[in-house]
Amino acid sequence: MKIHRAVLARFVDLPPEIVDSPRGLRDLLDDLGIEVKRLDGDVLTLELLANRGDHHAYLGIARELAARLDTPLLCPPLPPLRVVAPARFTVESSLCLSYSLTPLAGTGGAELPAGQRLALEAAGQSGNTAPVDATNLANLELGQPTHAFDADRIRGRVRVRASRPAEQAWLLFTPEPRTLPAGTLVIADDEKILAVAGVIGCEESKTTAETRQILLESATFDPVAVRLASRALGVHTDSAARFERGADPDAVLDGAARVADLLEATGAWARTGPTEFWAAPRPDPAPIHLSGDEVRLFLGLDLPDTQIARVLGALGFAVSPGFSVRVPARRRWDVTRPADLLEEIARIIGYNAGPVALPPVALGSQPTPGERRRDQVDDVLVGLGFYEVITDGFHARALSERLGLPTGHPLAVHVETTNALDRGYSLLKNSGVQQAIEAVATNVRARVLELKLFEWTRAFHPRDPAFDRLGATERPLLWAIATGGDRAATWAGRPRPADTSFVRGLLDELSAELSVPLAAGPIEADHRLAAVLHPHRRGAVRVGDRVIGAFGEIHPAVLASFKIKGVRPVYLEIDADPLLSADSRRPPFHEPPTWHPIERSLAFTLPARFESARVDQVIDLAAPRWLERRWISDRFEHDGLSTLTWTLRFANADNTRTVDEVNAAAERVIAAVVGELGPHGVKLR
Amino acid sequence: MARPDVPALVAAFRADLANATDPTQLDVVRRTHSGKNSPLKLGLRGLRDVPADDRPAVAAEINAAAEAIEVEIAAAQGQLEAVALEARLDAEWADPNLPGVATGRGSRHPLSLVEDRCLAVLRRLGFERVDGPEVEHPFYNFDALNVPEHHPARDAQDTFWVTDGFLLRSHTTSVQARTLETRRDLPIRIASAGRAYRNEAVDATHLAMFHQLEGLWIDRGLTFAHLKGILAFLATELFGDQRIRFKPKFYPYTEPSVGVDLACRLCDGAGCEACHGAGWITILGAGMVHPAVFETFGFDPNEVSGIAFGLGTTRMAAQWAGLTRVKALYEQDARVMRILHRGAP
Repeated sequence: MKIHRAVLARFVDLPPEIVDSPRGLRDLLDDLGIEVKRLDGDVLTLELLANRGDHHAYLGIARELAARLDTPLLCPPLPPLRVVAPARFTVESSLCLSYSLTPLAGTGGAELPAGQRLALEAAGQSGNTAPVDATNLANLELGQPTHAFDADRIRGRVRVRASRPAEQAWLLFTPEPRTLPAGTLVIADDEKILAVAGVIGCEESKTTAETRQILLESATFDPVAVRLASRALGVHTDSAARFERGADPDAVLDGAARVADLLEATGAWARTGPTEFWAAPRPDPAPIHLSGDEVRLFLGLDLPDTQIARVLGALGFAVSPGFSVRVPARRRWDVTRPADLLEEIARIIGYNAGPVALPPVALGSQPTPGERRRDQVDDVLVGLGFYEVITDGFHARALSERLGLPTGHPLAVHVETTNALDRGYSLLKNSGVQQAIEAVATNVRARVLELKLFEWTRAFHPRDPAFDRLGATERPLLWAIATGGDRAATWAGRPRPADTSFVRGLLDELSAELSVPLAAGPIEADHRLAAVLHPHRRGAVRVGDRVIGAFGEIHPAVLASFKIKGVRPVYLEIDADPLLSADSRRPPFHEPPTWHPIERSLAFTLPARFESARVDQVIDLAAPRWLERRWISDRFEHDGLSTLTWTLRFANADNTRTVDEVNAAAERVIAAVVGELGPHGVKLR
Repeated sequence: MARPDVPALVAAFRADLANATDPTQLDVVRRTHSGKNSPLKLGLRGLRDVPADDRPAVAAEINAAAEAIEVEIAAAQGQLEAVALEARLDAEWADPNLPGVATGRGSRHPLSLVEDRCLAVLRRLGFERVDGPEVEHPFYNFDALNVPEHHPARDAQDTFWVTDGFLLRSHTTSVQARTLETRRDLPIRIASAGRAYRNEAVDATHLAMFHQLEGLWIDRGLTFAHLKGILAFLATELFGDQRIRFKPKFYPYTEPSVGVDLACRLCDGAGCEACHGAGWITILGAGMVHPAVFETFGFDPNEVSGIAFGLGTTRMAAQWAGLTRVKALYEQDARVMRILHRGAP
């Protein structure tokens, strides 16, 4: 809303330091919750609180200022109206709370005086005929929307009623009639709809420069009915904004009187009859009881009862002895309980007045074990060069379709949004893999081929009906994706690729950091990620017997679908809950040996596709208990075969181990491997 | 054996030493003139052939010469080693201007860093983090928070609906509602951080998904002064010792509702271009928990009171990172991340 400083000063006596200082007025309004977003000369652009319909008018804003400054509120003079029961209209809906029509006749051509137009100009509403200007101005001043019909274009009786199925209305400023939702509250005559109640008038009854007879409508409608109509039609007017927030049932006649006065003051218009008025019976709301002690305790301020009563009185509340407070009709929408009154008092006293105190706090809290473990995971990933990213919770259907999976595949089943404005938000993610691949595609397009990203996020799966208050099964997860080298390429040489072995290394690092035995193993074909991973470069992540994730190179067909060339991304996804809650088993500490252990290296040649784990398993069984550690220390490929070197480290803690003992142990290992796996083509090199 | 001509032997040693220019040659000199078969050592072994009267003098002369030779060899060796070391060092010159080759660290996301900082401050007040679903029941997102159907407040939160009448939470306040439903022991001090969704057109400052962090403190005897105290503490701890002000706001689930403004760092509240003339920047929304919210969950608002507050962590992260385009936080452009972390793509 835009207001003019000089117009505001007509409604409240502002002290010189306020009226002469734009900054002073701005700060004062801000302090009252009427936020000034912009100041252009004497025009202030206000951002109003969503629950304060009464602030949509000079009078409402002035009332706040008057209460704060303890100065009188200045209302424009309103001529008395001669009010009679309705004769020319009928109210046929309970959604109309009060209704009035006032007839006026005139010669046309007049306009409001310049001083009156100031408020209209500030609001960007000037330049209309006098009746339209007068109704707009009355709304700006008093917050009571009114509407002028061209009386000569009304046929028969005016009815306030619900619209009928398929009924059409030709809304103002639109090229043709449109169908209204059935049940929309409308004002109609015998032939047509004259207005959508509280929202907008219609072309076929609007006033023009030729209008000589008007029927001035001033009314109150149900806020929800106006809101629904406004949203259904996509029509947002000042009138609707006011009614949606609850208008003042007591201001209906004031609005009519103000418009009549403004028009009659032009000399071109005059009332031609009494105001016909109808109001639905309105129960008097019960008073709200509040005590001065309650106010003082809540605010921490030593406010005398008289000051509390003054503040409430200045806002229009009727305060009886003992703080029985009656709410004015204009505030019946948002003031219903003591807490509302406390807010009124606090706002007028000022939120910045009074003490500021921290409640007593005994001890702080600590991060949970899960939060600490997540930090550890972050440390490992960041240390290996990964950057954390945050992706949307949803993505486009096309992104899912690019995976090329059949209907019913777990990665093709999504929780879906039903009303997204943007098609990019159609599906809730069911894995991190779609957006991870898309992230690679985005970066490859930007010629960034070295990439390491990770994210903690949630996947959404169709709801379990057993949980009636949960709309989806939400699965927290960690994903990571890497392309290019295991480290950045430098002038010193190219790194080895970030491949499945790199991910294995990452899992080893996580295992060590978390003291959780994360193991890699074969992945089941029905794992949700199996289909998007390279069939011969993938694996499952396990804790004990439980599969908690998967890793592998993204399937070349999927890369082609995403138009990714030149990189071979490797992806890891782990369910966060089991990762963060798995038992931690830190190995016991052993003093490092005084004497050097003895090592032997054994190289075995394996046939194509022969898993090294099988050799490793035989070594493990054949080696003596004093084999301290074994690891693969070298690998090379030749003639379709691969030769792997195991280094065996034998303990020699007391320097009593003999070379013969070690050699004999190594020979037993060789014999076991060759004996068991020789038939499969494994040979000692 | 004849008596050795010690002065001649010393002179011969010095002549050889002068010609020794590397450790190998020096070693030959050492063996020739100080080794066990050197003339001086042989002279010592032949002392028994020297007349007894002369023997002490001859022995003394040989020993003195041998000692002098060893000292001079040691000195020469030190000198040669120093020269050799200097030559080696010179040969090992490395260009210190070449770029480093250590494995580069990545980084956490600015939003995570901001969340961590907020949670660290809140933990000092005893808050614990709780999470809630993002696909939410409308009851927890709206109804339980005093936002009935058709309430204008729902306008500001145009909602993503999903199947079966559920929605994507439009604020993390829904976690507060779930907490009030399940907890009874006071005090309750919880913080929830995470994603929230608004079904609106995306532009430079509006996103369909963004992050919030909210706090809720329920106890007996909490007052408006306590609300302001907590907000002032948060503002100071998170944003530094900058002037703040409280202003009335409207949130359906709090009454009174409060906004916290921070004085613009550039103009200290006077108004400048950076703050669009306002002088202040809103950083927090908060309020006393609305009695209707308590009643929904069976708490007696006459017995307990509550303080709720929320921070827009997306905006905080963007400000912290110096981003004018907030959307960049949610793009997976590695160049942006490297610029944020390392200052260069």
